[in-house]
Amino acid sequence: MMAKSIRTGAIAAAALLLAMPADAQRAAPLPWQQDPFPSRYQSPKGDDMLLRGATILDGAGGRIDGGDVLIRGGKILMVGQNLANPGVREVDAAGRWITPGVIDVHTHDGTFVLPLTAIDREASDVAETSAPNVADTWVETAVNAQDMGFDRALSNGVTTVQILPGSTPIFAGRSVVVKPVRSPTVWGMKVTGGAQGFKMACGENPKSWGADDDNDGPNSRQGVIAYMRQSFTDAQRYKRAVEQARAGTGVMPPRDLKLEALAGILAGDIRVNLHCYRAGDIAAVLSVAREFGFRIGAIHHATEAYKIPGLLREAGTCAAVWADWWGFKMEAQDAVRAEAPLLEQAGVCVMMHSDSPADGQRLNITAAKAAAAGRRIGIDIPPERMIKWTTSNPARLLGLDKRVGTLAPGYQADVVLWSGNPFSIYTKADLVLIDGAVAWDRSKPPAMPVSDFELGRGADR
Amino acid sequence: MRMFASLIALAIASPAAAQTLAVTNAEAWTMEGADPVKGATIIIENGRIVSVTAGGAVPAEATVIDAHGKPVTPGLVNGATQIGLVEVAGSPDTRDDASTDDRTPGYDPSRALNGNSTLVSLARADGITRALIYPSPSRHAPTSGEPVFARLRDGVDILDRGGVALYAVIGGGAWDRLGGRAQQWNMLRKLLTDAKRGAAPGPESGNKKKGKRGGDGPGAGGPPGGPPHGGPDATLRDVVAGKLPLAIQTHRESDIRQAAALASDLGIRVIVVGGAQAWRAADVLAAAKVAVILDPQTNLPFNFDQLGARQDNAAILSKAGVQIAIGQAGGAIHANYNAGMGLREGAGIAVANGLPYIEALRAVTVNPLAIWGRGGGTLAPGADADLVVWDGDPLEPSTNAVNVIVEGRQASTRSRQDLLAERYKDVR
Repeated sequence: MMAKSIRTGAIAAAALLLAMPADAQRAAPLPWQQDPFPSRYQSPKGDDMLLRGATILDGAGGRIDGGDVLIRGGKILMVGQNLANPGVREVDAAGRWITPGVIDVHTHDGTFVLPLTAIDREASDVAETSAPNVADTWVETAVNAQDMGFDRALSNGVTTVQILPGSTPIFAGRSVVVKPVRSPTVWGMKVTGGAQGFKMACGENPKSWGADDDNDGPNSRQGVIAYMRQSFTDAQRYKRAVEQARAGTGVMPPRDLKLEALAGILAGDIRVNLHCYRAGDIAAVLSVAREFGFRIGAIHHATEAYKIPGLLREAGTCAAVWADWWGFKMEAQDAVRAEAPLLEQAGVCVMMHSDSPADGQRLNITAAKAAAAGRRIGIDIPPERMIKWTTSNPARLLGLDKRVGTLAPGYQADVVLWSGNPFSIYTKADLVLIDGAVAWDRSKPPAMPVSDFELGRGADR
Repeated sequence: MRMFASLIALAIASPAAAQTLAVTNAEAWTMEGADPVKGATIIIENGRIVSVTAGGAVPAEATVIDAHGKPVTPGLVNGATQIGLVEVAGSPDTRDDASTDDRTPGYDPSRALNGNSTLVSLARADGITRALIYPSPSRHAPTSGEPVFARLRDGVDILDRGGVALYAVIGGGAWDRLGGRAQQWNMLRKLLTDAKRGAAPGPESGNKKKGKRGGDGPGAGGPPGGPPHGGPDATLRDVVAGKLPLAIQTHRESDIRQAAALASDLGIRVIVVGGAQAWRAADVLAAAKVAVILDPQTNLPFNFDQLGARQDNAAILSKAGVQIAIGQAGGAIHANYNAGMGLREGAGIAVANGLPYIEALRAVTVNPLAIWGRGGGTLAPGADADLVVWDGDPLEPSTNAVNVIVEGRQASTRSRQDLLAERYKDVR
């Protein structure tokens, strides 16, 4: 524990050094490192507390029975047994469970807004679909913060979500990571300090779009992969020109927002989330990443990743998976509910993701289904490892693994106190803390956080 | 008496069915009371439950399944799904869920059911032994057609009985063809009142289809396939005669109240399917004896009709005296693909939101069978031997079905997913 808090301190110091003005010219952010839509999220005033006597799953693989968590100033101060109370509110957590807040790396909250109407069916904000390459888009400029999906997520223990653009375009644009808290705009929810995410897609979705007579884009798998390679080739040229201009050895090219985003991927500053189902599709995009010298953060859906775990392991690429989305299209035929335990057993970084405001409320239940399917074939993953699939592993994908996703000293206090085992269908989130402040308390009205949209539409009895 | 019934059953059973199964050490949820029989021995002969007795003796010739003290329930029943009609939802050429023929009213899916579907085998592996299969909207809005009951026995033939109701959709689906919902209700009422007028004097009306269509008796399941039913006109006549239910898939409170009024005005049996806002009209539904088939997972409105969807819908309705069952009509993209797991998850969520546990079990066993006029769904002596041995609480998604028995025979619990996972288990 001590070692961990020293390390966190050292990282903070290093970050400070990097930001020093001594090397001002080099430190000036490259175009793709700039954020035109800065966050206005402000950490709430923390509710200091000592949660006493719970079963703790720390998110990193550890379990403490009869354990305590001490939270102060928005951070986790200590995790252990029989902690001394420095004079903060004490919560009796006996018989209950504590985990890090759930992290969902794949939602369309705020863009796939329910209730769905003809207006959004005709022109959806899930993705810009005028071209296969819309790398210049930032999905946050579409997010409706009044989507009640955020409220449902929060009241079910979700503390961080990544909103991705949809999978129709091949290059779908930048993602945004948010806390599901009430705010008039998405920028009051936006999380900073992680890796800038980006969405790409392969397989049936982009090729079906291209096959429509009205659209101009590749209409086969091979066409989609070729399109990726040509685009990255163009981006290499652009990146080199920008870097040479910065070094004073060339002329800055005219700004191209699409090439700029792709250059950011090549530079390792923008992290790719790649929607892919079949093993061959996954292998192909991993080859493209190797050819152009970048690492894909995660394959999303990754239906057949269980057939090729070695390829993902070698590439250092995670898999974000479902338990029970299968069969609804051809590339989803070979989905297996046991995928997460199969990948865990093979040493792949795996996490559950939702793609749905309904399933996003129950990612731990998704994990429970996967684990049950694993037991059918003799793979038994205990709760302290299952919880990694919804906490520390997704934190790693988002580049937030030194801040959230684990219960350890120095981490932000995104914490859930569950009424029981978090993998039980009967369990509820009693208390949800975000940055050490109570964001949801089941014992206190209102029973639900209420969005502007839902207000006055009669959800109450 | 019991032996007599067994002898009759023996006389009509095929030789392959002539086997005795004994499930021992069971926590047997017979659905006859609120509590299970612990340490039970369940004797099954010729497709029927013979006895459920704590510590009961095992016949010498019986095949024994040791439940190891774990729960044993009647086979679960999905109150509304489309398994057996849909293979790859995104590819219309693998779907048989609707008619697009303008000439015929509605759609009878009896001849389309596919027991070899991967959706069926997974549902069975998750403990489903029966299901109501509903048609999607037809060209004759607001009616969709005639739902069928399926029995998830091994093999291609999973038809239990066709024409168990008339199915209509008010709100979504009928919009394109009829416009606003007043017109939808007008059309539905006209259809029914015309049928009633036509049915009143006709000698052919009503009773053409023999056999027990309602009732809760253990024998109501009938032989596989059931008697052929008489087509859409006969179904309509049976609906207005109060012999078959009219199922209306709808969500908004105003429509729920219309549905209850329709039941009272015409003296017919009405089932509401979906019913996201049914909790707002619980007393009216109870008074009109309108049952509701719902999905307790729903707490987000897919459309405006579903505003206020809440997970204690089941608890509120049940407390008000409305008969409820669980199903996933018009559910999410992957709903049909998890007709078993989704049903159990929904029942678990209903319990987590206030529905008593035994009521949730009823909502996935006896209730859907009663609502759709099939009856049964218990482990009472003489009942159809559809039952599941679990390795834990059946409403927990972390539980697996260990043995699934359909019509007294052990059915396959290996899905294609199990085979794939098994094949790649050691790949590194």
